[in-house]
Amino acid sequence: MGTKSAIEITGLTAGYGKELVIQDVNLCVEDGDFFGIIGPNGGGKTTLLKVMLGLLKPMKGDIRIYGESPETGRRYIGYVPQYAEYDKVYPISVRDVVLMGRRSVRGPSPWYSNEDKKAAMNALETVKMKDFKDRHISMLSGGQRQRVFVARALVSQPRILLLDEPTASVDQTMQENLYKFFKELNKEITIILVTHDIGVISSYVTRVACLNRYMFTHDEKLITKEMLEASYHCPVDIIAHGVPHRVLGEHQKKKKS
Amino acid sequence: MVGELVELLQLPFIQRMFIAGFLASISCGIIGSYVVVKRIVFVSGGIAHATFGGIGFAYYLQFMLGWMWFDPLVGALIFALIAAIILGSPLMRNRIREDSTIGVLWVVGMALGILFIHAVDRSKILVQDPVSILFGNILLIKLQDLYLMVGLVIAIIFITILLYKDLQILTFDEEFARIAGVNVNAMNILLLVLVAFTTVVLIKVVGVVLVIAMLTIPAAISGLFTHNLKMMMILAVFVGVITTFGGSLLSLNYDFPPGATIVILMGCVFVVSLLGKSINQRICLVKTE
Repeated sequence: MGTKSAIEITGLTAGYGKELVIQDVNLCVEDGDFFGIIGPNGGGKTTLLKVMLGLLKPMKGDIRIYGESPETGRRYIGYVPQYAEYDKVYPISVRDVVLMGRRSVRGPSPWYSNEDKKAAMNALETVKMKDFKDRHISMLSGGQRQRVFVARALVSQPRILLLDEPTASVDQTMQENLYKFFKELNKEITIILVTHDIGVISSYVTRVACLNRYMFTHDEKLITKEMLEASYHCPVDIIAHGVPHRVLGEHQKKKKS
Repeated sequence: MVGELVELLQLPFIQRMFIAGFLASISCGIIGSYVVVKRIVFVSGGIAHATFGGIGFAYYLQFMLGWMWFDPLVGALIFALIAAIILGSPLMRNRIREDSTIGVLWVVGMALGILFIHAVDRSKILVQDPVSILFGNILLIKLQDLYLMVGLVIAIIFITILLYKDLQILTFDEEFARIAGVNVNAMNILLLVLVAFTTVVLIKVVGVVLVIAMLTIPAAISGLFTHNLKMMMILAVFVGVITTFGGSLLSLNYDFPPGATIVILMGCVFVVSLLGKSINQRICLVKTE
């Protein structure tokens, strides 16, 4: 069969109780992709992430991470949750947050080894946060905190980095810096980026899909008007009408030349 | 004054008071820190109040079946463990709102305690005054109580050291814990079991009602001054020792109810620390400006 795809989803339906949130989703993320999944809020992005991470069982369909089920395959994934989801007053330093990422590698040992500590420092080096290692997490800016959580994901040496709305509550300049940084990381690691922010995503990702209950994909990174219309229904006019839509298309051509 | 204190220390019940205060401070420093950072103060309150039912149950068994070995603290431990398992079990957490479960355990525990104690013929069985069960009396500690307390504190220290890493991940970020391979459901129950152990250690010192104070206040005070979970625990133990010893001595000296005195002293230290911290921050702000 040759090399396996990073993530392969076929005919996936998932939801909570009787309510279906995503239906008949097909997706193939290849090794090395910088894959953007966009869609409106409530379109099922979080549900899809939960299925990928093995936190939610699919009702129908199949999901493979490098050929394995999510329960075992999630060790290949470094997950960076949404900005707002952790406790900002928890008494913990930057370095200790990053060390947590070693749990999946190390298992339930009582304490972290020197090797873990070295890996944590390397990950902090990668995200350029080494100087902040002893800072409390409440004393960081939004962008810095995001880097720390990327380091926590990287410290388990994953093959896929899964980013959930990584630039929510991060200011504009910092957003661009983060995306450049992700692009840099993408040289060595597959990245899946989930966001509702179409504008930024287009200039950095290599492939893109739209999710709103159903998944709409395109072979290239071009976001077509049809995809947007299908996933966003009527609001396409507001989001992609005129200039932004054309920009996406032209940008694509420029890259190719 | 010093001479008096030395003389006091010769008395066995005073010695037991200090040992019990020390044990209580260790357990509430460690587990109280988890309770505070995971924001489960009221879950712990539910467990604490359920123990009153267990204490009554123990007296009832002593009376009905003549099981004199069935100590009230053992009854408290059993009820605390049942409450911890009910509150921690994912089956319950998914079906019923957590605060409703807490409310039910809280009041049913108290009511059961009152009913059981009412049913006991107090001319035959020596029953501790319900007020001192509820508000504690550190001066009434038996040697047998100390044995159980020592056992529980050793268990708490041992389990916390062994599972420190996973408890930290669990209390910081439950979803990440699950992804990282921590058995979140089991660990949640385990954390509440540790709270149950702590509750039983604290009951003799401050009583059923005031357990929440000891679980919360020392950890909350130390949390003001440190950004490190281990330091928070150590500092909380220290705060606990100072306030329990201070409160006990005050209550001896002025004949105040001991449990309440300890808790009031803790409350005062909390307010002073809070004021001290905010004044300190103001000064720092002015300096940097």
